[in-house]
Amino acid sequence: MILMYLDPGSGSFLIQLLIAAIAGLSIAIGANWAKLKRLLGKNKKKAETDDEEDDDEQQPGA
Amino acid sequence: MKKTTTNNSPALSASFRDPSGFLFRRDGVLYRQVNQAYADEYMRLMDSGLYARLVKSGQLIAHMESDPSKGSGQIFEPADKELAFKVLRPEPIPFISYPYEWSFGQLKDAALLTLTIQKRALKLGMSLKDASAYNIQFYNGRPTLIDTLSFESYQAGEPWVAYRQFCQHFLAPLALMAYRDVRLNQLLRVYIDGVPLDLASRLLPAKTRFNLGLASHIHLHASAQKRFANVTVSDARGKRKMSKEAMLALVESLQATVKKLEWKPAGTEWADYYEENNYTDKAFEHKKVLVGDWLSRIEAKTVWDLGGNTGVFSRVAVDAGANVISSDIDPAAVEVNYRLVREKKEEKLLPLVLDLTNPSPAIGWNNTERDSFLQRGPVDAALALALVHHLAIANNVPLARVAEFFAACGEWLIIEFVPKSDSQVQKLLRSRLDIFTDYTQAGFEKAFGEWFSVKEASAVRDSERWLYLMKRK
Repeated sequence: MILMYLDPGSGSFLIQLLIAAIAGLSIAIGANWAKLKRLLGKNKKKAETDDEEDDDEQQPGA
Repeated sequence: MKKTTTNNSPALSASFRDPSGFLFRRDGVLYRQVNQAYADEYMRLMDSGLYARLVKSGQLIAHMESDPSKGSGQIFEPADKELAFKVLRPEPIPFISYPYEWSFGQLKDAALLTLTIQKRALKLGMSLKDASAYNIQFYNGRPTLIDTLSFESYQAGEPWVAYRQFCQHFLAPLALMAYRDVRLNQLLRVYIDGVPLDLASRLLPAKTRFNLGLASHIHLHASAQKRFANVTVSDARGKRKMSKEAMLALVESLQATVKKLEWKPAGTEWADYYEENNYTDKAFEHKKVLVGDWLSRIEAKTVWDLGGNTGVFSRVAVDAGANVISSDIDPAAVEVNYRLVREKKEEKLLPLVLDLTNPSPAIGWNNTERDSFLQRGPVDAALALALVHHLAIANNVPLARVAEFFAACGEWLIIEFVPKSDSQVQKLLRSRLDIFTDYTQAGFEKAFGEWFSVKEASAVRDSERWLYLMKRK
């Protein structure tokens, strides 16, 4: 596919909206799932290690 | 990088796309001019603390701003006064390398760095407007973002403008290397803006459609590009907005996809070379001593170890005080070498994939955007150990031309002559007609004598090989 006048940007834009929405949703579900488990008294230990800042300082290649 | 000669722009020939500013060189020093157009974004980068945080963790190249209050030594004149907002002096990178010269692990680490920086930027209200692999360089052994002008203010509701570029520059080549063949990073040499996603989608094995990350970021992405090719971005967009949480989720999805891609160096020709060639430990150790002594004596600060395999002699050169490029044609050897650099946090050694019979050419706009390998030299000294027989016999290059090539690489040359009687050469000759009548020690000395004068020569103990220290005439 050689694009001379056609723009690959539109597809890239739409697909990232779709992926971001699905990924965002699954993260939200995941977070609530953990909450639910916590409420039910399971996985107490795991719930304490929040991964909020996980790779903030992490340097790939370090 | 040379100055462009076709117009009056003072910018370096790789620095012309971005109106935010450009790189220029004056009296051998590299500067970056920040244009007025980018003033607000630049101030936000500095004031938000993002610059300081990224520099502290070695993820962004540090720079000095022109500051007259610190004396005349820190006044940097702009190259284009009309446009200028500020002039910066970035820390110089000793050697610029390109993604088609990186091993799998190097490209993967560069990709993960780009995503990490994007996440950190988002937290402080900024976003990367470029995700070009060429903006990442290996500095002190680690990937580092060198383009200070890559940031823009995050606008609520806007998508990530660099998403497609990230997929083309990083994700597509990494997926092809992991799932199809590690040599496919060479596609980056052909496609300067990254591997087109429809091509990547066609080349990847069908099973990658069951990998959620690759199915969406490559296969679906490629189909969407085709499907909506006739639609303008604003029409496609309508009133759709992307929340910051959604953008973070997108970046995290890319992170997870990249992290899962693996490639292990195994089973290739060279990775276990040292175990099966006919070196004895004595010969090997003697060679190390000679190379180390000679490099220390000539005080070589920059060295190219050509055909350096996993970098044993490159490390001898580092110990002798040099900054070393360790090149090899075998991606497995380079991967092993890079993993060692990472493990031991070595700062002065950069392993690169390079085929000496066809070294990286100058590519891109006007053939000046990316320099050829030789344009990025010369160095103080080149090492050519256990290499000459590959060039002269396996690749059929006359010794005179081999000598000419090494003379272009550097002022000094440490080269090993491997005679025909050597078992490794015998292996090469087994499948060829021996047309190499000049390939003798005398013929070697004569051919190289045209370009170099021999300063030292020593038989390598316990072997039939000879080591030479030569200086360019």
